Amino acid sequence: MSTHTEHQAQQGREPVDVNDPRLSRFDVVQEGARRDDIEIVHYEEQVVPGSKAERRLTRTVALMFLLTGLFATAFLVIYIWWPWQWEPGRGGDKLYTPLLGVTLGLALLGIGFGILTWGKKLLPKEVSIQDRHDQVDNPEDRKITGETMLYLADELGVKRRPLLGISLLAGLAPVGAVAAAPLIGGLIEQPHKNNQMFTTGFAPAEGGEKIRLIREDGRPIRPADVSVGGQLTVFPGIEGGVSNKHADSPTLLIHLREDDAQKSRAANERKGHGDYMWGNYVAFSKICTHAGCPASLYEQQTNRLLCPCHQSQFLITDNAKPIFGPANRPLPQLPIEVDEEGFFVARSDYTETIGPDFWERP
Amino acid sequence: MTSDNDRRRGLLARLRGRPVARSRGRRRLGAAVRLAAALMLAGGAYTVFAPGVQAQDNPPLTAAANEGKALFDVSCVTCHGRNAQGVEGRGPSLIGVGSASVEFQVSSGRMPMARQEAQAMRKPPQFTDEQVRQLGQYIQELGGGPQVPSGNLRDGANMSTGGELFRINCSQCHAFGGGGGALSSGKYAPSLKPASDRQIYAAMLSGPQNMPVFGDNQITPQEKADIIAYIQETLKSDQDQGGFNLGRYGPSTEGLAIFLVGIVALVFASLWIAGKS
Amino acid sequence: MKRRKFDAAALPAKTAGAVDDRFQVATPLRKLLNKVFPDHWSFLLGEIALFSFVILLLTGVFLTFFYEPAMTEVTYDGSYAPLRGTPMSAAYASSLDISFDVRGGLIMRQMHHWSALLFMAAIVVHMLRVFFTGAFRKPRETNWIIGSLLFWVGFLAGFTGYSLPDDGLSGTGLRIASGIILSIPVIGSWVSSSIFAGEFPGTIIISRFFIAHVLLIPGLLVALISVHLGLVFKQKHTQWPGPGRTNSNVVGERMFPRYALKQGGFFMVVFGVVALMGGLFQINPIWYFGPYEAWVVSAASQPDWYVMFLDGSTRLMPAWEIHIPIGNGYVIPPLFWPTVVLPGILVGLSTMYPFLEARRLKDYKHHNLLQRPRDVPARTAVGAMAVAFYVVLTLSGGNDVIADKFHISLNAMTWAGRVGLLVIPPLAYYVTYRLCLGLQQHDREVLAHGVETGIIKRLPDGRFVEVHQPLTSADGHDGHAPALDYVGWVVPKKMNRLGALGPAIRGFFYPIEKPAEAPVSPGHPPVEPRPEREEISSGESRR
Repeated sequence: MSTHTEHQAQQGREPVDVNDPRLSRFDVVQEGARRDDIEIVHYEEQVVPGSKAERRLTRTVALMFLLTGLFATAFLVIYIWWPWQWEPGRGGDKLYTPLLGVTLGLALLGIGFGILTWGKKLLPKEVSIQDRHDQVDNPEDRKITGETMLYLADELGVKRRPLLGISLLAGLAPVGAVAAAPLIGGLIEQPHKNNQMFTTGFAPAEGGEKIRLIREDGRPIRPADVSVGGQLTVFPGIEGGVSNKHADSPTLLIHLREDDAQKSRAANERKGHGDYMWGNYVAFSKICTHAGCPASLYEQQTNRLLCPCHQSQFLITDNAKPIFGPANRPLPQLPIEVDEEGFFVARSDYTETIGPDFWERP
Repeated sequence: MTSDNDRRRGLLARLRGRPVARSRGRRRLGAAVRLAAALMLAGGAYTVFAPGVQAQDNPPLTAAANEGKALFDVSCVTCHGRNAQGVEGRGPSLIGVGSASVEFQVSSGRMPMARQEAQAMRKPPQFTDEQVRQLGQYIQELGGGPQVPSGNLRDGANMSTGGELFRINCSQCHAFGGGGGALSSGKYAPSLKPASDRQIYAAMLSGPQNMPVFGDNQITPQEKADIIAYIQETLKSDQDQGGFNLGRYGPSTEGLAIFLVGIVALVFASLWIAGKS
Repeated sequence: MKRRKFDAAALPAKTAGAVDDRFQVATPLRKLLNKVFPDHWSFLLGEIALFSFVILLLTGVFLTFFYEPAMTEVTYDGSYAPLRGTPMSAAYASSLDISFDVRGGLIMRQMHHWSALLFMAAIVVHMLRVFFTGAFRKPRETNWIIGSLLFWVGFLAGFTGYSLPDDGLSGTGLRIASGIILSIPVIGSWVSSSIFAGEFPGTIIISRFFIAHVLLIPGLLVALISVHLGLVFKQKHTQWPGPGRTNSNVVGERMFPRYALKQGGFFMVVFGVVALMGGLFQINPIWYFGPYEAWVVSAASQPDWYVMFLDGSTRLMPAWEIHIPIGNGYVIPPLFWPTVVLPGILVGLSTMYPFLEARRLKDYKHHNLLQRPRDVPARTAVGAMAVAFYVVLTLSGGNDVIADKFHISLNAMTWAGRVGLLVIPPLAYYVTYRLCLGLQQHDREVLAHGVETGIIKRLPDGRFVEVHQPLTSADGHDGHAPALDYVGWVVPKKMNRLGALGPAIRGFFYPIEKPAEAPVSPGHPPVEPRPEREEISSGESRR
């Protein structure tokens, strides 16, 4: 089975006349393969035609195909008649999707394994050898093609007439830019429009009116609404305050215990934020300074705030300083107070930038 | 009390130390007996009087609370101290935590704790419901605090509001599916799957361990009912049609499944397909 | 021609003739039908990716009929009661409708998602196969590059698709993506505001992601996959060394009929497995996540598995901020390194690897024969190192789930990941290298001395030695069997494997025929190897 000798034999072989009536169909096939540099070196029936084994395999394959039909029909029946709709209280029929999946899956597996068994067990085993020809077939062709291309360049005469090339480039470059311009120009947005990266919904209204803190249903918040050791997600009391329009504004209002509040107040004072707290209440941005997830896993005993996305941990009683994980910046603190009606308001907007860090964040 | 004791001890010393003359001594003895009797009376009156000082603030314990106290003195006193005052370094004071806290901690088996660790774990409860009620009653009568109301805690619940409240207040720690999640340094938010209505209610009210407190001002009893209904009837009743939920740990188990089921099955298939027949 | 009555039997031949008259397809078709493909199970891994891509296209088209890529706010009024009355985006509402109000929509959605995961998983597994067997070497570097690009384009396809339902979980992922974009020095805020049309999340990102997910990225994928397959076709598949297999031939089966049948059957099997998973395992239950709201998050917020390594690298990154004190001051946030720089390095390293290796080994020859991993210990060890690196990062991407379910401290998990990322890959390198050498050594021993027979012989001087069965009967000059050349292919290690390349006991899980009777007894002459054995040749020995 030395491929080399055979290959030579092939090449030295007389071409077969495929119209020769003495040739069997396989002979023609083999000749065709030879013309594609393929030698069928081993071709062997796996099952003797008409044998018991063949009948058994045929039955197996046929059974698989029939099972496919059966399961596909079952799929259709289930699809049409099985109760499928979700109903309050009862839910949906939990079997609907699994049944569809099982019937469809088994139908497909049936046809798949049927075909595979057919191909694998019933068809003759073969070993064919094909030459690769992945070396350079004909160095002359390479030379000719190369020369042809150089000839083309010569004909165009770019070397002799450099102005043409330069001016073509000079003309094409703006055309390319024209193609790119509408896309880039249409997409590009000034990120600092209205100073939007540095302001939130808590920025005082135009009249200098302070913004109330509200809950997700729009109710303003009294101090008594937050239990000691409790947290509340609050929003700016403006239009669209409780929506993704102000995705940078959600804030966590925390009612600290007395001793924790003292620590927090002292930390605030060290930072020059002496008047940011109101009573034992403290408000920090809910948007993590790392990647922008809502950092809101508040541990009321340890006063740590954990972000569930990348596990940054902030110490609330120390100006929400990051103490673990990848966050590099404390959570900004919202200065709060209570207005004459007894509701929380923001004394001013955040004094630090909200959310993930970026290059020009001062 | 100390001065009184000293006085009593002084008297005894005198009685014992001084040999008493017979005639004068008998008289003196009589005086001493009278004095002793008077003093004993005073001491007795004091012992009666002393607890009476507290009894002025607190009415005497109800029967249930007394049962609870008995249980407390057997199982809880080691860490939480006499009269639930707390023991430094072992267990906090329970004054003012209310029956809600007791009910949550004891009925979920977290208390009594097996050992000191980052966080008490849920275990099979050691007390019957009745005993839990008695313990709760005792702590409640000792220092007051939040209580779980009786009756159906899901009355008139709105599932959709409950879902919204759950996602804004609960899911950050307990996860969308209620399966719980990790907190810092070994602490964790437990799974809500084994929790009963009353336990969820009690947990919101009392803020056990590191859970923030959600008092009735913050989340009204009606909203609590909504949340409980959402947890119990949507998250836990598992009404959806998507098949096995893979423990609902999110994409991590889905990723595991595609390798352990999908890739493994198909690699076996390809081994069979390309195998020598 | 005389008018004749219609002859049905001749119709196919006549049609074929008519087609060939017009298009001259006979010759190219013959070439196609005859093309030889080598057969090995590991060559089918890429097909899993291809077939799951086809399933993605089929199920994806279904989903587009019902999905509405808009962020306009609507109030949900579908049949899923726990969300009724909730304000949400039209995209989320339509995704819920697919799950609850379109008959059979849920299984389509789940099949789409599972096949997306399968697509990426198969790409990775296929890539590992190609890497560890050296199939990327000249002349196949281009296809390796296309393959690695397919991973990254698939990554984008997955991420955009994951974001489309606009649910709480995917919105969180999108928020992180915006943070990642923001972290790019100098241009970050500009790129972010350009993509989101203003501040995050804006109202247009879903529409943009939609067109990317259903048109641009699939278009790119189709193009890349076509070139990938075209190149496999043109360059012909690699093959393992073995009897009759050389660097300049392909030994296998012709495309038709057997190979094509197997491929068709395998497609159905992949489809069937995806259908089973789509029906039996729930994936991405968006109705629990609620609509995306910037203040809502869940514990264990994770991306799909193929993004998890980036999440892991982000979690492990220490909080190192670079501050540039010019003017008002500028920052490079710590988020930049694990999410922009690291993938950049990975893309560069993975695409350039074939050239790096060729350069290092000064090997510029054509290679059509694969190498067993043990025969190239350095490459295998580098691969093991890369896999270890990837696995540590991926596990760290789910470290909160691991911490929670196995009661380990979250902080300890983070530290374990940080240390593990530095320690485990070099360890994997060392261990793999030694393993490869050991396996190779064993093969060489067998080639030199023969197969261990388990028969102990006592020598005249009293020593005991084990009798080895030489692999060849040819006598060397000194009466011993000559040592066979090491050719990098399977060496029989057991007596019953002598003379055969496959297992002597048939059957997959259990033997379906009895093992060969008693192995060769010492009295018998050595088993005659098949004649092909002497023809063993490979690129290695032909150098």
